[in-house]
Amino acid sequence: MKRPTNATVQLGAALTALALLGLAAPAAAQELRIGASISLTGTYAKPGKYTQEGYLLCEKDINDKGGLLGKKVKFVVYDDKSEPPTAIKLYEKLITEDKVELVMGPYSSPVTNAASTVSEKYKKLMMASLAATTSIWERGYKYLFMTISPAEVYLEGLVELAVERGLKTIAVINEDTLFSKAAASGTIELAKKKGMQVVFHEAYPKGTTDFTPILIKIKSLNPDVIAAGSYFDDAVATTRQMKELDINPKMYGVTVGGDLPEFYQLLGKTAEFVYGSSQWESHLPYPGIKEFVESYTKMWNREPAYHAAAAYGACQVFAEAIKRANSIDSDKLREELLKLKMTTAFGDYAVDERGFQIAHKMVLHQWQNGKKVTVWPANVADGKPAFPTPPWNAR
Amino acid sequence: MQVHITGTMVLQVVVSGLLVGGLYALVALGLSLVFGVMRVINVAHGTFLMLGAYVTFWLFDLYGLNPFLSILVSVPVLFAVGAVLQRLLVFRVVNAPELSSLLLTFGISIVLANMAMLAWTADYRSVEFLTGSFVIGQIAVSKPRLISFVTALVITALAFVFLHKTRTGKAIRATSQHREVAQVCGINVGRIDLVTFGLGAGLAAAGGSLVSVMFAVYPEMGQVYVFKSFLVIVLGGAGNYPGAFFGGLLLGVVEGLASLFLTAQLTEVVAYILLVLVLLLRPQGLLGGRI
Repeated sequence: MKRPTNATVQLGAALTALALLGLAAPAAAQELRIGASISLTGTYAKPGKYTQEGYLLCEKDINDKGGLLGKKVKFVVYDDKSEPPTAIKLYEKLITEDKVELVMGPYSSPVTNAASTVSEKYKKLMMASLAATTSIWERGYKYLFMTISPAEVYLEGLVELAVERGLKTIAVINEDTLFSKAAASGTIELAKKKGMQVVFHEAYPKGTTDFTPILIKIKSLNPDVIAAGSYFDDAVATTRQMKELDINPKMYGVTVGGDLPEFYQLLGKTAEFVYGSSQWESHLPYPGIKEFVESYTKMWNREPAYHAAAAYGACQVFAEAIKRANSIDSDKLREELLKLKMTTAFGDYAVDERGFQIAHKMVLHQWQNGKKVTVWPANVADGKPAFPTPPWNAR
Repeated sequence: MQVHITGTMVLQVVVSGLLVGGLYALVALGLSLVFGVMRVINVAHGTFLMLGAYVTFWLFDLYGLNPFLSILVSVPVLFAVGAVLQRLLVFRVVNAPELSSLLLTFGISIVLANMAMLAWTADYRSVEFLTGSFVIGQIAVSKPRLISFVTALVITALAFVFLHKTRTGKAIRATSQHREVAQVCGINVGRIDLVTFGLGAGLAAAGGSLVSVMFAVYPEMGQVYVFKSFLVIVLGGAGNYPGAFFGGLLLGVVEGLASLFLTAQLTEVVAYILLVLVLLLRPQGLLGGRI
């Protein structure tokens, strides 16, 4: 007997593979596939990875409890390289070629903004987990739901605490970029609504290093509160220069940057009493948060950041809506998601008629003795705010 | 509520503008030197600054070395990096049309920044903190800025002395004035290019070490300073080192005053209007001429 040639072996292998594929096809019907593009490379690689890890932990938890609608859940994830145009292509592929049953959002506002144009076109409901820009929900889309708090409420806690303590005047500064601008205008609106007087507002270009001119103008007005819509570098620089110029508001808060450990490393004691805000902290008393932190730490060998918690929470909300609708039909899911009010490991979920998040609360923390102490809202706080912030020469 | 601007406020802004300007000047000096001698527009200058800052960060993080002392390490390290890059790549675009050097150094900066991102991640790193200020009358003088200003001044002065008093320095100036004649007079122009590019990178590194004490260290930190440096050397006159120094101080003060009297958003507008005016009225730069 002739030995099979290489070609026959290859043919045989190909046929076997085909047969296996054929076998795999009906198995796929037993799965609910959730498609998503995530930034695994590029600018957003790090938070993108956290997002994916949150999704995968959610997948595992759902499947451990018997899946959804009697099927196993499986995430189909592609790398969008942190580029909105790539995300558009990938969602197009997920929906039309892969024909995934469900889709969830990518990481970041710009990418979600782009990707949701595709899901909306195909009337595929997208559960967006990590987009915070209000304008995305002002386009009249029907099939897009939000999970995290919008930029405008980042400093809600600072204003609330200031009003509670009878403070009257506030100065607001912000970096002249999309997110910081929204954070500042939200703060101003909130402060006005609560009866505070906004005595100063000025934006500065990205990359500003010398804040002396802005800060001495603020100093001459002597406001009770200074609020900064900032990223990291500018938050550090303003804090440092406030000390140098001996500016002493009774409260001083920043948006992003203030919650990173590097903020304290760079500033040391100068960071004491500074307020900062964040979407989520691992010690908050939300149901299931302990289990989430434990299983996340076990699965990925590090503590979860808020991105992972938001992705996980969004996925849990989505699963609940699917259960209640007993369907994966976008219109039925939409109805359930509009009605749904629930609390996950990430906190509260409820949306208005646009699908815009209205229940999730930011938390405000303050640096006290080198630790981030959550001081607002009161029902989740693990400490009291140290108030008022003492003048620099008395520290 | 209306802000009432007082004389003290103006003085305060001028002082802090001068302090910031000293740093701009130091960083711009390296860029100006390289352009003056080699006619190479070095977009990778900010990347060298970033690498210098990382040298300071790691020495501080691993060995606890004082960040100001680490300039003694970051400058030679980046001098070597600059010299190697010159020997391998940059010599190909010396005296070539300026677009070639733009493209080449842009490529170098992308590669180096991404390597830094791969090796050290995009995380913010931070070096020792030194906060607070000396108060003189009603004027606050930031401690870290004052120290970095003085350091920048010393380094600039050393570079100046080097260029004027040493044989190599004189050769660098000669090459900058006329390449061919310098070569005819027996100056090894290739070697001068090597030293100059290394020196340029070293000066950027010194700037990086100083910046790292005040701001976070991360792979893209250098960009801001490149743009400012271009502004500074056009203001002062390309290839004119005292001019770069003067341009740096001027830019710092103008930015501060624009921010004080107008708004911070308009600082760049004012800085670039100044640039256009200088180009229109005094295209050779405020101090003009070479060296």
